[in-house]
Amino acid sequence: MAHDSTDTDDALLARLRSGDEAAFVTLYRRRQAAIYRFAMHMSGSATAAEDITQEVFLALLRRECGYDSERGTLSGYLFGIARKLVLRNLERGRADVAIESDPEDAAMPELAVVDDPLLDLTRRESIEALRRAVLALPRRYREVVLLCDLEELDYADAAVVLDCPIGTVRSRMHRARALLFEKLSQDRNPRLAVGRLKPMRVAI
Amino acid sequence: MTCVEFWNQTPDGGLEASPGSGHLAECAACGARWDRQQALRAGLKQLSAAMRAEEAPPRVEAGLLAAFRVQAGFDRRRGTSVSWVHSWWAPSLTWASAAAATVALAVVLMHGLHPVPASIAPLSAPHRIASPAVESASVPADQVDEDAYGPDSDFIPVPNATRIEPNEDLNVVRVETTRSAMMALGIPVDAANAADTVLADVVLGSDGMARAVRLVPNGDGSLLEE
Repeated sequence: MAHDSTDTDDALLARLRSGDEAAFVTLYRRRQAAIYRFAMHMSGSATAAEDITQEVFLALLRRECGYDSERGTLSGYLFGIARKLVLRNLERGRADVAIESDPEDAAMPELAVVDDPLLDLTRRESIEALRRAVLALPRRYREVVLLCDLEELDYADAAVVLDCPIGTVRSRMHRARALLFEKLSQDRNPRLAVGRLKPMRVAI
Repeated sequence: MTCVEFWNQTPDGGLEASPGSGHLAECAACGARWDRQQALRAGLKQLSAAMRAEEAPPRVEAGLLAAFRVQAGFDRRRGTSVSWVHSWWAPSLTWASAAAATVALAVVLMHGLHPVPASIAPLSAPHRIASPAVESASVPADQVDEDAYGPDSDFIPVPNATRIEPNEDLNVVRVETTRSAMMALGIPVDAANAADTVLADVVLGSDGMARAVRLVPNGDGSLLEE
C-alpha cells in the first residue's frame, strides 16, 4: 500500500505497527535525515550518527516504545530517543567533537564588536564559520540550537525532547545565541579573545 | 520604553520586533543589536538549508527494513499457527513479542550454545539500547560463509530457507522476545516463564528472509532452555 506525504506521522505509526512496510518506509524517509543530522552534530561522528539513527527507528518496532501522542509529536519523541543515545555515546567517550567547558556562570559576552562578522553571515564562508561555531557550543546550548534553529522544532517540542521546562529552552536559546555572537566575533577579531585574558605581573 | 523593557518584551532576542519602529527607532545600540540578531537568524536559516542534504546512508534503511521484515514475517507465521495458542494467553501475545518468533523457531532447533565464530562477532551487548527490541547491523557476505551457520556452528539454518549465495548481501538482526512467542510455533515452554525474554541473532538474506539463527546468551550467560 502506498502512502502519500499527507499521512500524519501517527497514522503511519499505527499502520507500521500492523505490519505495513510502506508506512514504515514512508515514516523513516520523512524523519531520518533530521535525526541523523542531530545525532551527527551532537556526537561529532558519522558512524555514531548511523548507529543512533538505526536504533531510534528500531525503537518504533517495539510496541511498548513509550510514545504518547498526548505528550508531544512523534518527531519530538524520535529526537528524544536520539538525544538519550547521543548522551550515552558521549558518556562512553566516543565523541569526536571537542566539547568545551560549560561557561554557565560566565559573564554574558559583549555583543558589540569592532568588525561585525554577523552582517555578512549569509556568505558561504560565514555560513561555514557559523557551523563551526554551533558545533563548538557546549552541549546544552548546541542541542537547543540544533533542535530549534536548524531543525525548526518549536520550543514546546524541544522542551519535551530535552525534558525540561519551556522557559529553560528559551533561556538556553538566548544564551546560545549570545555565545554564537561571541565565537563569531572572536573568529573575526582575535584581539577580542586577547582582551579576555587577565593581566599579570611578570619579572623581566 | 527602556532598553531592558524592550528586550524583555521581545523574546527570542527580539526576532519578532519591527525595525524602524518604537524603541528600535530611538535607540541606536538596541537597533544595532537587533540587526545582529536578524543577521544571525538569517545565517542559521541558511545553515539549516545547507544541512538539508545530510542524511543517513542507504544501508541504514536497508538494515531497518530487514528488521521490519523479520517482525512482519513472524506476524504471518503466527497467523497460521494461532490455533495452537491457548485462548487464555493468546491476547497477551504482543506484536513485539510475536515479531521474534522467527528467533523462537531458531531456538527450538538449537542443540546448545557454541563459541561465537570470529567471522560474526556479537553485534552488541544484549541490552545496549534502552527501548528497541531489535538491533541490526550489516555483515559483509564474505564474512558469513556456510560454516558460520552450518551444523558445527552456533548458527542454525532455518528449515526450508533459501541457500545463502556466495556474494549475497547479508544482515544480522538481533531480536529480543519472550518465551511465550515460541509457543506460537508449537515449542513446549513452561507458561509460568512466558514473560521471560531471550535474545537471538537472525541472519537475513538480501530478500529480508531469515536464513539462520543463533541464540544469544543472557546477561548472566544462561540460555533459554536446554
